[in-house]
Amino acid sequence: MDLLNIDRRIIFVFVFIGVAIPLMLDFSFPIKATEPVQRVFDEFERVAAEEEPVVLVSFSYGASTVPEMQPMALAILRHAFSRDIKVVAICLWPEAPGLAQQALAQVASEYGKEYGTDYAFLGYKPGLWAPIINMGQDFHDAWPRDARGTLVGDIPVTSAIRDLNDFNLVFDLAAGDSIEFWWIPFGVEKYKFAFSGGCTAVMAPDLYPFLQSDQLRGMIGGLAGAAEYEHLMEIPGSATAGMRAQSVTHLIIVAFILLGNAAYFASRRKVTA
Amino acid sequence: MQWRANRIVTLLGVAVLLPVVLSAQAPPRASAFDTPNDAGGSITVTWPRVDGNETTNHLVYIATAESGPYNLAAEVEGKGAVLSDDPGNYGRGPEQDATHFVHVSDFTTADGRQPLDNDVTYFIRVAATRDGMEARGAITSAMAKANFINWAKMNNFIIGTALSLIILLSISLARRKDMFIRRIAGLEAIDEALGRATEMGKAVLFVHGLREMDKISTIAAVNILGQVARKTAQYDTLLKVTSYDPVVMSVSQETVKEAYLEVGRPDAYNEDNIFVAGTDQFSYAAAVEGMMVRERPAAHIMMGYFYAESLLLAETGSQTGAIQIAGTDAFTQLPFFVTTCDYTLMGEELYAASAYLSREPRMLGSLKGQDIGKAFLIAALLLGSLLATAGMPFITHALAAH
Amino acid sequence: MFLTRTMPTLLAFLFGAVAVMIYYVPHTVAQEIERELSLWLRILYAFAYFLGLYSILNLHWTRISRREGGWAYSGVAIASFLVMFFFVVYNDGAGPFAPQATAGGYQWMFTYIHVACSSTMFSMLAFYIASAAYRTFRARSSDAAILLVAAIILMVGRVPVGRAISEFFPEAAAWLMEVPNLAAKRGIVLGVSLGAIATSLRIIFGIERSYLGGGEE
Repeated sequence: MDLLNIDRRIIFVFVFIGVAIPLMLDFSFPIKATEPVQRVFDEFERVAAEEEPVVLVSFSYGASTVPEMQPMALAILRHAFSRDIKVVAICLWPEAPGLAQQALAQVASEYGKEYGTDYAFLGYKPGLWAPIINMGQDFHDAWPRDARGTLVGDIPVTSAIRDLNDFNLVFDLAAGDSIEFWWIPFGVEKYKFAFSGGCTAVMAPDLYPFLQSDQLRGMIGGLAGAAEYEHLMEIPGSATAGMRAQSVTHLIIVAFILLGNAAYFASRRKVTA
Repeated sequence: MQWRANRIVTLLGVAVLLPVVLSAQAPPRASAFDTPNDAGGSITVTWPRVDGNETTNHLVYIATAESGPYNLAAEVEGKGAVLSDDPGNYGRGPEQDATHFVHVSDFTTADGRQPLDNDVTYFIRVAATRDGMEARGAITSAMAKANFINWAKMNNFIIGTALSLIILLSISLARRKDMFIRRIAGLEAIDEALGRATEMGKAVLFVHGLREMDKISTIAAVNILGQVARKTAQYDTLLKVTSYDPVVMSVSQETVKEAYLEVGRPDAYNEDNIFVAGTDQFSYAAAVEGMMVRERPAAHIMMGYFYAESLLLAETGSQTGAIQIAGTDAFTQLPFFVTTCDYTLMGEELYAASAYLSREPRMLGSLKGQDIGKAFLIAALLLGSLLATAGMPFITHALAAH
Repeated sequence: MFLTRTMPTLLAFLFGAVAVMIYYVPHTVAQEIERELSLWLRILYAFAYFLGLYSILNLHWTRISRREGGWAYSGVAIASFLVMFFFVVYNDGAGPFAPQATAGGYQWMFTYIHVACSSTMFSMLAFYIASAAYRTFRARSSDAAILLVAAIILMVGRVPVGRAISEFFPEAAAWLMEVPNLAAKRGIVLGVSLGAIATSLRIIFGIERSYLGGGEE
């Protein structure tokens, strides 16, 4: 077999084995939170220490990123509910409402939280960044009713919210442009509220400048970030389990890269000889 | 002797205790004015900072009449904010460092919190409180107003206007003078790709990104499509264009039609070759991949803003042996295109591509204006960093966002 | 001509100029205008969904009616849409005017068909990145070697096994993200933002009209 041109199907088989088998076994590697994830955790702890804390959680991801983003959503909801932080959930992505409802229902039942008093789900609004501008001006005007049709003024958890600055923290779960191109320029820059976020692993490098400028107070990046957050919460979930598969698969890819380079250098030596 | 000793003790006691008594109960000399650069409904109340007084809190009372009743509007702990903490509104300097402030936008009444109204005179009184003792200062008054200009953003306005003028002037200059653009390898390769497709008798597949028509990358992609369409019309090569967005599809159809008309080949234009392949990210990717594998175009030109499907498209395309040219300003997808495509236009090269291919004065001038703006930013970054390191942060302050 | 060219250009200028000025004017009048514009934007985006729906259905129907290659798949697409639409309208018995039900046929299909299929498509990236990495991460030059080393450090450092091997990997990975990556991203953002300003100016002043479709005038 030519090691310089291994059939990609062989590589696919190894990747499949690297993902499937670790998921069936039970072992773990030590997880330690990185600084961006720790900052998110600290932000929620800061919010928990305030009086009557309320957090706005924006679900901006869809069906394709569920394996990466849903564990993240569950982890931060668990953190919020375990510290008696009230949660107002919105969706800026058309596919998100079903996923948001599932996450809220699951975690609320774990902590015995009551709809309306402890959390509310306001549904989806189109317009990309436009709802953010509206929320910064008048929250009730931007979202007059929740997903069940109840006026937000009649819901205890949202009745006193006038605008985005009345939230102790805004958290966006993003699989696309929402953090960099919607929330930060049209939200944080205009209305100056505390903002944090979670995103897919491929997007995480994009957001480091905003971490440094403090426009983003911490970031959970990808499944690894979600696993770190589960570790901080001491509640291992699917993200922690996923780290087994991800670790082994990364090593397999690195092995193939090194193999390819070894073959490349060996072939170059043959040519020069 | 006894009398003299008593007097000395008394004087000593007063000397020690008087500052404490006075500092705890000294009424603050407050002033109030309309909060600048806002939509109204807020009054700024200031009072001087007293060193060593961090345990003294300040209460701000407000009333609609000078005689009262005064309602509590804000309570500020000893280590409250100073004016220099908000340099956009109040500037920097020793005076700002020595003045506390608070923005008052509502006050507590029996009926709850009442917001401040604009153009209504409010009477303000600040009290210093410590160890249960309170000393109230003199009454002052102010009126909240809605401001027409946000002076804190003046630096942004000046820089934005200057950049805009540079760009517009460059466009104007480009109409009179030829401007140089360096060679971009990816764009030279487009001719090669089109020639290859013509020789092989196969199609050229142009793949739009996932963003809407109002996005810069999509506009640049449509401009490139226009040039590609002209060439495919001239060479009589089949051109297929896939879009994610219906508006982009409509614009692409018009662009290709115009291109074919310009080179005198309206008969060769087929509207059905420009279509929406899918309106969901991975449906779009699956549809385009299917086309690549079934129809085996000789050249793939992927221009625009891509997301995770970029690797799916480019890797599948590379398997078919087609020549691939990609252009995107999606920072996170560049590595995938670079590793799987023959040529990649990175970031602004995509925007420059419009100018490079068309040689239109407005595009060339715009590019030059951007380059001048970039040179200014680089100079500001270098100089500002050096000066800030040397303890002279005036460039940093001048470019600060408020 | 006036409606297809001049009017859109005038509107682009008017709304573009107003949107820019609103940024510098804090007055309540400006806030009201901003609120109206953002509400109109939301309405436009909502109607764009109808436009997209019409476009995709029309595309597939045309393929079916002309019996083009793969027209059966277009039939599957339209049938799938009709089935999903039926369950949305049915809304688990509550009807289309009640809030969306959290159970029922639509939710079932969304969770067990749409989410499953979409996640599967996304997961294909794992296979493709492996084959692309193997094929292209070769140390052909010093630049490629640096890229190779950085990629290996990040791949190992971003997963827990990296910390199990050595503390060097996660710390080096964090440094790579916080310093070179941040610098590169910031440089690209500056350049792209300038490009965005230039293009926006061209659109506002009517110099750029490619968004209207067609060639030069």
